[in-house]
Amino acid sequence: MEPILRRTPLEDEHVALGAKLGPFAGWSMPIEYAGVLAEHRAVRERVGLFDLTHLGKVEVVGPGALELLQGVVTNDVARIDVGQAQYNLVLNEGGGVIEDLIVYRLGPERFFVVPNAANAERVLQILAEAPAERLVHLMYHQDWCFLAVQGPRSTAIVVEVFPEAAGLAFMRCAESEFRRRPVIVTRSGYTGEVGFELFTYQDVAVELWRTLLEAVRASDGDPCGLAARDILRLEMGYPLYGQDLFESSTALEAGLGWAVDLDKGEFRGRAALLRQLEEGLPSRLRGLRMHERRHIPRAHYPVFLGDQLIGEVTSGTFSPLLHTGIALAYLWPADVVDVGDEVEVDIRGRRGKATVVRTPFVDRSPR
Amino acid sequence: MEFPDDLRYTKEHEWARRENGRVRVGITDYAQDALGDVVYVDLPEVGARVRANEPLGEVESTKSVSDVYSPITGTILERNAALEDRPELVNAQPYGDGWLVVIQPDDPSELDGLLDAGGYRAFVEAGGQEG
Repeated sequence: MEPILRRTPLEDEHVALGAKLGPFAGWSMPIEYAGVLAEHRAVRERVGLFDLTHLGKVEVVGPGALELLQGVVTNDVARIDVGQAQYNLVLNEGGGVIEDLIVYRLGPERFFVVPNAANAERVLQILAEAPAERLVHLMYHQDWCFLAVQGPRSTAIVVEVFPEAAGLAFMRCAESEFRRRPVIVTRSGYTGEVGFELFTYQDVAVELWRTLLEAVRASDGDPCGLAARDILRLEMGYPLYGQDLFESSTALEAGLGWAVDLDKGEFRGRAALLRQLEEGLPSRLRGLRMHERRHIPRAHYPVFLGDQLIGEVTSGTFSPLLHTGIALAYLWPADVVDVGDEVEVDIRGRRGKATVVRTPFVDRSPR
Repeated sequence: MEFPDDLRYTKEHEWARRENGRVRVGITDYAQDALGDVVYVDLPEVGARVRANEPLGEVESTKSVSDVYSPITGTILERNAALEDRPELVNAQPYGDGWLVVIQPDDPSELDGLLDAGGYRAFVEAGGQEG
């Protein structure tokens, strides 16, 4: 039986634009329009418009909101002021990654949380069950949409529609409105380019999409699908939940220690991370850059150091910017190689040489 | 989607064109559309032996890699060297400059067992998959 997929309010727009729709985390979403390479290039050189309505949208409000979040996520949420955003993880008791998400502070006692599509309900449940001394109100905005405008030309386009976006620094957010509906505008994204993410009610989704698309087209940009977004994020070395992040690897193994504040007080998974720091990491997520264009790494390909199996690719693709294959791979133990070392990826029975590199793979910055 | 009348087709979505006793081979418009943007094509060397219904090479797109099956048994006479630098030709002109190899067939009549344009179109419209 075919699973019943959730639908974006923009599905008719995507179909009219010739998009290929496909299943993603329980949703039917646009995977590509004109072509992955053209869309990738539009975002890197000009601007692209994305429908990301499948991502979760949860508001945490009330006098107990900060305390509740502090016990659930890894970073010190108290450090961000109103109008700021922060990357966070939710861990299990073993320190394994249940979820990565961004927390936006909209008010002293008002936070906006954006989990991955596949995890929205689970994160909501974790928040609902977490202990809180004071009142907290959780709002699951299933009637909201999520659009992203990404690329070097995105600022002018977004500021034209939302003047509050002017001067917004990276990982800052502001509240605005569109057709008398509230809109959360953030300077953030998953592409490595300057970009904005926009959250509002679905009843203005079509009008907002058309307004932005017209401006994007006028700037020689294109609508872009999830396939291009996956290449853009991988070129930056951003791990993807479900692909590179999962419960059997900890935040430290995933290289996300920078999003964990072990000194802020108790949170789920903290004890396990402290133990792991003492005992040493069993594995580490690394960037691999292939030597030959014909060697394109894919998820689950084994990684070797000589005859020794030392790891597994979790995400791999051909980088259109570098003209070579790139991958994220867990290598074990964590110190088995250093940046600059040469390893081999088993590509369907053939060995392809790769160098262990620092991420991002490409010289881009969203700041 | 195009289904040129002068070609024969496999159920693995390759096409074959008779050219003076030789056979030119590529992947179909349907195949390139399903694959998405092609970024690498792996082809056999000139002189290599290939067998009908067995892989002769690979076409790799941004999202996945697919085997290319030979429509006929024979010997590789030419490989499309232009694809090394411009693999996107497979998407742009699957029946033209995006061809893959030319084969000297052992038995040219082997092509008669493949689908004609009408048969292939019906196969694609029924979902493009065996079974």
